[in-house]
Amino acid sequence: MGFVGVIVTFAGFLLAAASVGISSSTTVRLGLVVVGIIISLVGIMGVINPAYQKNAVWKK
Amino acid sequence: MKTRIIRRVALAFSIMWCLALAGVVYAQAPAAAAPEPAAAAQAPAAAPVPITDADIKNAPTPKPEEKTAGDPGGAITGNPADIPVGDMKKGLTIQDVVGAVGQNIVATNFVWTLVTGFLVMFMQAGFAIVETGLARAKNANHTMMMNFMVYGVGMLAYWLIGFAIQMGGVAPNSNLGGLAPLNHEFTMHVFGKDWGLFGTQGVMLGGHTYDVGVMVMFLFQMVFMDTALTIVTGTAAERWKYSAFVISSFIMGAFTYPLYGNWAWGGGWLQMLGSNYGLGHGYADFAGSGVVHAVGGITALAMAIIIGPRIGKFRRDGTPNAIPGHDIVIVLLGCFILAFGWFGFNPGSTLGAATNGNLRISSVAVNTMLAGMAGSFGAMYYMWMRYGKPDASMTGNGLLAGLVAITAPSGFVNPMGSVIIGLVAGVLCALSVEFVERVLKLDDVVGAISVHGTNGIWGVISVGLFADGKSNYGGAWSGVPGSVTGLFYGDAGQLVAQLIGVATLIGCVFTISFVINAVVEVIWGHRVTAKIELDGLDIPEMGALGYPEFVLKPEPAMEA
Repeated sequence: MGFVGVIVTFAGFLLAAASVGISSSTTVRLGLVVVGIIISLVGIMGVINPAYQKNAVWKK
Repeated sequence: MKTRIIRRVALAFSIMWCLALAGVVYAQAPAAAAPEPAAAAQAPAAAPVPITDADIKNAPTPKPEEKTAGDPGGAITGNPADIPVGDMKKGLTIQDVVGAVGQNIVATNFVWTLVTGFLVMFMQAGFAIVETGLARAKNANHTMMMNFMVYGVGMLAYWLIGFAIQMGGVAPNSNLGGLAPLNHEFTMHVFGKDWGLFGTQGVMLGGHTYDVGVMVMFLFQMVFMDTALTIVTGTAAERWKYSAFVISSFIMGAFTYPLYGNWAWGGGWLQMLGSNYGLGHGYADFAGSGVVHAVGGITALAMAIIIGPRIGKFRRDGTPNAIPGHDIVIVLLGCFILAFGWFGFNPGSTLGAATNGNLRISSVAVNTMLAGMAGSFGAMYYMWMRYGKPDASMTGNGLLAGLVAITAPSGFVNPMGSVIIGLVAGVLCALSVEFVERVLKLDDVVGAISVHGTNGIWGVISVGLFADGKSNYGGAWSGVPGSVTGLFYGDAGQLVAQLIGVATLIGCVFTISFVINAVVEVIWGHRVTAKIELDGLDIPEMGALGYPEFVLKPEPAMEA
């Protein structure tokens, strides 16, 4: 799952960076960038971290 | 009791929102138009009278007997006789004077940038004692040595390749004499524009980059890079294998930090979002809330996930145990040292004190101190209201959070904006520490993820909100004329550029840092054994105790 999380996290960045080429509207770019940031945060906090927490030292 | 606490918290938030609102209202008030100079409006200026060599020769110089009598008032020291003459037969000429003026400007900028760089270097001492004070006595030698050697390890990596990647295509820079040897940026054509990805000049400071201006730039950028690296050691303290720390820090100094540094400061694609895509002045990060602090904080987050919490940090039900540091006195002393060093960090980022709008250094310095103050107040007040005591370590972290947050906007905002940014940073720091510990269940020994990561990102965003369009910076850096202006002053595009920077930090820098450290984990291993961790890392890892004459108490049993 950690690998999936990395992909999701990076995909969020790609969407945000691509926003400048997708639209010339500031509002649309803003929306795409915010969505990109949320995707990346989900990748880190929702996928990668839980995957590593499964084997946390305090659970043993 | 509970109602009283709720009331206090509500009161605190009310006051903060009032302050924030006042700031926003203040920010949105239209600035009065600058009055036209009366003389310029009424009559054309008189034509300038050219200065001749004769004027120069006739300029008054003190007589030898005046100089031998001493100059207690400082009125005759520094006069035309002190200007070096190119040709003794001709005497002093306009060329000599003009040459001296040009060199004086660059010399002033050199001295300013070097001295502020020395201040930033001293921040390593602050980081070292903050982190060591927040660690337990049994790990003092190990924590101190990580902070000590991150300077050397990082510098070696940066000298070998990092500086070239970050600044190898940064030319021109008129403050430091042009930096002409740093003249090649590797680019990729994307969406119809060239995206700068990394520089190529300056490997080991060899070849044409053996240049006085390049040396100034190297020193200043090197100490910034080391600041980012030392943030990670704070998060992973008390369980990080020393050899793994050396490997990880070397890679970060060589690649991870320089890459983002290039994109933001070295002529890379983030910096050019304004000129290429009309997003304000492109990503603007005056002194590195994003480049230095968020890169360090985001890498610390990746490390915290990979390395896991210290034994005893969490109970079996997942609730956290407090593991107090061994010396709060040196923690707060370290915070003061860092606040002092920040006067190098932010004002020094003008890369000069003369010409090019650099007199703004006074504003940058005041913004820095105000935001630090507001940050410490925000954190102290939050802790006081929430827990009944003004927690010392969190107040210290609040000071640092305010300083971190103001680092990016310090060159672009006014004092009111600085206080709001700092105040928000202080509260945000305390909230973030709780979130990281209680929700993410990560163990961050010094709170670096919150202080540097969360507030580094807040600092980047705040440029897009509070930049008042009054500074002289930005245009020369990003190819867009005019000053950096945030959303509250009418430029929404700047906020988008800042958010793209944030997305890059969270999505790209995190990914790079995570993958690199995950590979190190597989090949080498980051964490010491449980026995070493419980005994303390000083003897097994470093071969000596930090405090050999102290009697260390056995580890108290943590509540299961």
